[in-house]
This record gives sequence, C-alpha cells and structure tokens, in this order.
Amino acid sequence: MDLNEPEGPAGGEGPGQPEAGGKVSRLARRGKVLIGAVLAVILVSGLYLVNRYWIAPALRTQAMSGGDHPDAPPISLTDIGGKKLDLADYKGKVVVLDFWATWCGPCRIEIPGLVEMQDKYASQGFSVIGISLDDEPGSVVEFYKEFKMNYPVAVGNPRVGELYGGIFGLPTTFLIGRDGRIYAKHTGATNPAVIENEVQQLLAMSPTAENMSFKPGMTAGTASKIELGDPAAIDSEIPGLNLTKLTATQKETLKKQLGELKCSCGCNLSVLKCRQVDRACRFSLKVAKEQMEKILKSGV
Amino acid sequence: MIPVVTACWDVKFKGTMMKRPKLNMKTFSFTCIFVCLAAPVAWAQTPEQVVKAKVEMASAVARPNSVVRAAVVVEVVPGYHINDHHPSLNYLIPTEVKLEPNPQVTGQDITYPKGEPKKFAFSDALLSVYQGTVRVDVALQLERKTPPGNYEVKGQLGYQACNDHACLPPASVPLLFSFKVVRRGAPARASQ
Repeated sequence: MDLNEPEGPAGGEGPGQPEAGGKVSRLARRGKVLIGAVLAVILVSGLYLVNRYWIAPALRTQAMSGGDHPDAPPISLTDIGGKKLDLADYKGKVVVLDFWATWCGPCRIEIPGLVEMQDKYASQGFSVIGISLDDEPGSVVEFYKEFKMNYPVAVGNPRVGELYGGIFGLPTTFLIGRDGRIYAKHTGATNPAVIENEVQQLLAMSPTAENMSFKPGMTAGTASKIELGDPAAIDSEIPGLNLTKLTATQKETLKKQLGELKCSCGCNLSVLKCRQVDRACRFSLKVAKEQMEKILKSGV
Repeated sequence: MIPVVTACWDVKFKGTMMKRPKLNMKTFSFTCIFVCLAAPVAWAQTPEQVVKAKVEMASAVARPNSVVRAAVVVEVVPGYHINDHHPSLNYLIPTEVKLEPNPQVTGQDITYPKGEPKKFAFSDALLSVYQGTVRVDVALQLERKTPPGNYEVKGQLGYQACNDHACLPPASVPLLFSFKVVRRGAPARASQ
C-alpha cells in the first residue's frame, strides 16, 4: 500500500479517452466516498444496536447476577398513617421497594399492578413498600385513597434516595430478596409481568443464602445497574464527598478552597455552600471531587 | 475498522470498467473520522441536564418608567418534554418562570407559549407539553424614578421533565435579567 501515491485523474483508463476517463474517475471517487460514508453509517448503527440490545443487557445481567447483590440500605421512616416503617422489619420477606411521586405519570400506570401483586403474594411473605418523593404528604394521602393502595407508603427524604444510589428517574423499583439483598433495579415504568416474574423467583429462594440463579427481567431497557450511595459521602460535612481519607489539615484546606471557588451552576454560591444547600447539584459535586482528588494526590 | 477499510478498497463500480480501486486515503480518512465522531454519539447515555434556559434581552438599555422586555429561551433535549404552564391534568407540575422581588421593578408580565398536545404511553389523554425550543416572554415594568445604573433581576425557571416511561424530579434553572437604566432623553444605545 503506497500511501504517498499521487491521485491520477485517469485512474487506470487508456490515453485515448482522457475526458471520459476523468469523468469516470471523478464519479468513481464520489462513489467511493458515498459508499464509504453509507457503510460507516451502517457500521455505527449496527454497533449501536448490538450494544443496546445485546452487549448492554448482557452486561446488566452479568452485573446483577452471580454474587453482585448488595445489601439493601436501611430505611427508617414514618408512613403516611403515622406508623414506623423500618425496612429491617421486612427481613425474610420479598420486597418491591418503589420510589414514586403523585406528579409522575408513569408511576400512575405502574401502581395498580403493584396493588394487585400485594393482594396476590402478601400471604407468601411479600410486600410492596412505596417511598414517595412528593414534598408533602397531603397529596400522597389523597392518591393513596384514590388508587386503593394496600401497602405501606412513606414520604421519603433526599438521604434515602442517595443511599439507594440517587433516584434520577421515577418510578424506580428495587427488588429485595428474603436475605435483604437487592436483586434488581428498574428505572421507568416496567411491565408488571417482568416484576412479577422476579418476585416469583425471589419467593422461591432460600431466606438465608444468596440466590445466584436469579435472572432479572430485561424489557424496554428499564433494568438498571445497582449502584448504591456511600453513607460516608452522604453524611459528610461536604455532602457527596467521602472525607475519611483526608487528614484534618487536608479537610480544612479543601473547605477553604471550595469556599473560594464559585459554583458554575448559576446559583451564585461558592462550591462549598452549593454542596451544602443543593445536594443534587452535579456541577458543585464534580468540582468538589476534583479538588479532593488533587489534595489526595499532592499528599500535602 | 475492517468493514470500513474493505469499503474503501474492494468496492466494485458497475459500468465503469475500472480495475479494483486502490485504497483511497481521502475516503479512508473521511470514514475513520466519521466513525470516530459518530460512535460517542451513538453510545451517549441519558443527558444529565435535560433542560437548558437562557435569557435574551430585547434591549440592554432602558429608561425609568419603561418596560424592559426579554425572552427566556428554553431548550428541552429530544425525547423529553416538560409540562405546559397550564398542564392538562391537575397533578402535573407546571413550567413556571419566577422572578425575585426587585425594588426597581413594579410589575411583571410573563407570557407562556401554548403547549403542544401529545400522546404518551403513560396517559390515555393528550397532554399539553413543551418540547424542543420554546420562548417565554417576560416584561418588567420599571419604577418611575429608577436611578441610572446597571441592574440585575434574578429568577428561575421551574420545570418537571419526563420522557415516555420515566419522570425526573422537579428542577430549576437560574435566570439573570441584566440591563442598564439611562437617564430620560439619553440615547438608548446598548453599551457592552
């Protein structure tokens, strides 16, 4: 392959037909570019489809089966009826933990299916638990009555969401086994048959041993990787940062630096203040993490 | 990359009586660049920020007792929607521009566009929503005796976004309306 070969106009045509040869050559070049582009588009589309429908689901299955089932973080709230709602009390039961909100359309179509499941499987050691992300319980109580909800519902708080890895889309549903481990996570309205299949698998499992043969349902791209929050970062004085690796001096340096940097989210606050008043701000979290890494690397 | 190289190398051209073409570096480079640029787009995950908003001032200069006009240009990423200011169902959270009180602003008029009726998998009824780019018009009435100077009015765009199968928690984007007030009779030219 001679990469420096000059591009001749004739492209292998005879000397007797220079005009026709030039035209053909130009056409051929255009044709090559066009076909190359079309094939590139086909290749990229093909890779995208292979990734979306084959590689990604396989990776998710791999991630969610065979020993990658983390313990469900603790939840201790008061339900909308005023009773204590503690996830630890459900150990030994299969739990569908549903994060939802009254203003969320997709949650509204999913909840009747959960009500049916509660009816059907409660006697076998199963419960749905609803954690509403509404600001106040008034609308949740109304909704509870309207939808004839038959399982405990509490209004959540940011900390609960963060412990479960951050709730970025509603509904988000976690399937928790009798052993207290999370076996599946679905983001977005999910076909009730998928959740029911997972519930049946978990009901059949041992209450003490991890269920290695669990197969999460894979429909409509709702199955998500289970990534939980780090309690040390959640309860940190700079929310989102695990400061346990820093010395006292490094902590002070970090706070000073973040106090001097302006957050780019538009809040007009320092990065430190923004972290403290808006835990969900990703701009301040990114900068704060970068600064902490710098301090850790410098070792000063 | 094998299929791309093959495409540049082995293509047969009907009716041109050509020999097998040699590797064309232009074509090769083009396709390589194209694939490299396109691949990250194809694998892009859900965007972190689905709504962006910016303030466009009709004029950067105003006089006391006049009306300052601006538009909040809202961009919703494809695949997502935000609710109409007057949502179709009472449980939906409306899109709303809110301004912080400012002693130099005695009144405000905020005009929202009409939403587009759309059908979603999670609702039997058509929902009035905003998608793509929409403009919210804002008019601020200035105080009669506003002293000359530079002013900023802060505000925020509140919204709640969903796609066809999931909703994101309510969020807001900060807004800043900046303008200069000049004396009556002074030329109303924008100065940067």
